[in-house]
Amino acid sequence: MSKKTIEALQILSISLIWVLFIGIAVWIVNLIKESLKLHDAPDASVGISIVAIPVFFILASVLTYVFIGLRKGREEDSEP
Amino acid sequence: MEHASATPHPDAALLRPIENPGRTFYYMVGILLVIILYTGFVYIRQLWYGLGVTGMAQPVTWGFYIVNFVFFIGISHAGTLISAILRLSKAEWRRPITRMAEVITAIVLAIGGLHPIIDLGRPDRMMHLFYNGRLQSPLLWDVTSITAYFTASTVYLYIPLIPDIAILRDRGVKPRWLYEFLSWGWQGTERQHKVLDRAMNILMVMVIPIAISVHTIISYIFAMTVQPGWHSTIFGPYFVVGAIFSGIAAILVLMIVFRKVFHLEGYLKQIHFNYLSILLLIMSLIWFYFTFSEYLTGYYGHEPNEMRVFWYKFAGDFAPFFWAMLACNFAIPVAILCNSKTRTIPGILIASLFVIVGMWLERLIIVVPSLANPRLPYPTGIYIPSHTEWMLFLGGLSVFILGYMIFARFFPVISIWEIEEGRHESTRLVTERIRSYMPDMEPSTGQE
Repeated sequence: MSKKTIEALQILSISLIWVLFIGIAVWIVNLIKESLKLHDAPDASVGISIVAIPVFFILASVLTYVFIGLRKGREEDSEP
Repeated sequence: MEHASATPHPDAALLRPIENPGRTFYYMVGILLVIILYTGFVYIRQLWYGLGVTGMAQPVTWGFYIVNFVFFIGISHAGTLISAILRLSKAEWRRPITRMAEVITAIVLAIGGLHPIIDLGRPDRMMHLFYNGRLQSPLLWDVTSITAYFTASTVYLYIPLIPDIAILRDRGVKPRWLYEFLSWGWQGTERQHKVLDRAMNILMVMVIPIAISVHTIISYIFAMTVQPGWHSTIFGPYFVVGAIFSGIAAILVLMIVFRKVFHLEGYLKQIHFNYLSILLLIMSLIWFYFTFSEYLTGYYGHEPNEMRVFWYKFAGDFAPFFWAMLACNFAIPVAILCNSKTRTIPGILIASLFVIVGMWLERLIIVVPSLANPRLPYPTGIYIPSHTEWMLFLGGLSVFILGYMIFARFFPVISIWEIEEGRHESTRLVTERIRSYMPDMEPSTGQE
């Protein structure tokens, strides 16, 4: 497999991770909207989502940071 | 086999399962695949005929599937949580252990997380959870926390694996594209090490509360009801302690198996087993303390419904399981591990296997007796697991073994770069650390 294909796959994987985590966040927000609409303990839903959503975003950010950091940290990239 | 590089590596023993897996690997995979395929057939049969093929019926509507769910998720605490604690506390002896532990978490969580879906006669109804889930239900907290834990554990397993993947890439091990793809251009530069260390530090701190939340929330599924035997304030910590307890036992069993099969005696030494078995002993004592507190408060209150469950466990149909649980989780491991003469590797293996069985029995004892003796005026329920449930249990165990074997076929189960780092830097780091917390010498008075 060529280097370019592998790089494309790597970028695709990062994008998919973000799609997954944004999807989870959208799902949680949707459940909050549902609970508000039905007056079904929305405070509990909001409380849980305040904890849950940042966890997923921190994970995605850490992964992105590692992948970008490793690419930038390669010797060929650091040479002038 | 698929070994491209002839360069001898100082940690060749760790690369052997990848570069030369041997025939036994393929035989084992074949056997496990047959079991898994048969389990798949049994599950399709359950889908076709419904939950009538299981031993579950009113009032015992949760059986093996939920028992196994709690058990597998408990075992998953072995890895990431223990690894994170050892890394954070800078325990140098952690180096050959952490990866093995982290792999357990990733595989077992995936298996455990599937069990509630298996428990649904109509798995398609899972979709209701996505469309109309109620976030105030502990069941949905569980879905969220298990997803978070699974993601965090996988990331936590993968990131420190990158330098080892690069070793395999550089040695030309096949499939090369896979290692090229997963290594993200790792060259071991100072900047790359800094990135990796920073990410690991964030993850270490993150995964501990996530791991604790997972088993606490699983306990809430029971404790948030008013069922006798479940409505307890200490269920959260009780479940977490049980999970760590069974997790340590699972790591010890795996370490002993890998040590024997792959001849890793040079990496997994007696001292590693000694430290972990002492931890197992401490967890056994803490587990007993929680069990004692849980049953004593129930007995002292003497609430009639609670007492029905109590006597059902102590002297009724579930008494053999209850007393076997106490023997497996407390009497036997304490007797073996307290004595330095029996705290040998075979002794530790026996104690760990008993703990795993005992912790499974504990989950059974929590789930079934409370449902068999509900508050409503039902006759006492009977639960006898069917062939389908036994088969799915066996299938779950087979998926775990197969998953672990496949991981070990493609990646080193002991972190090579961390071992190398330990060889070069541990002595200096430990010396510096000891110097930093030892009191300074008294200044010379000049009288000599």
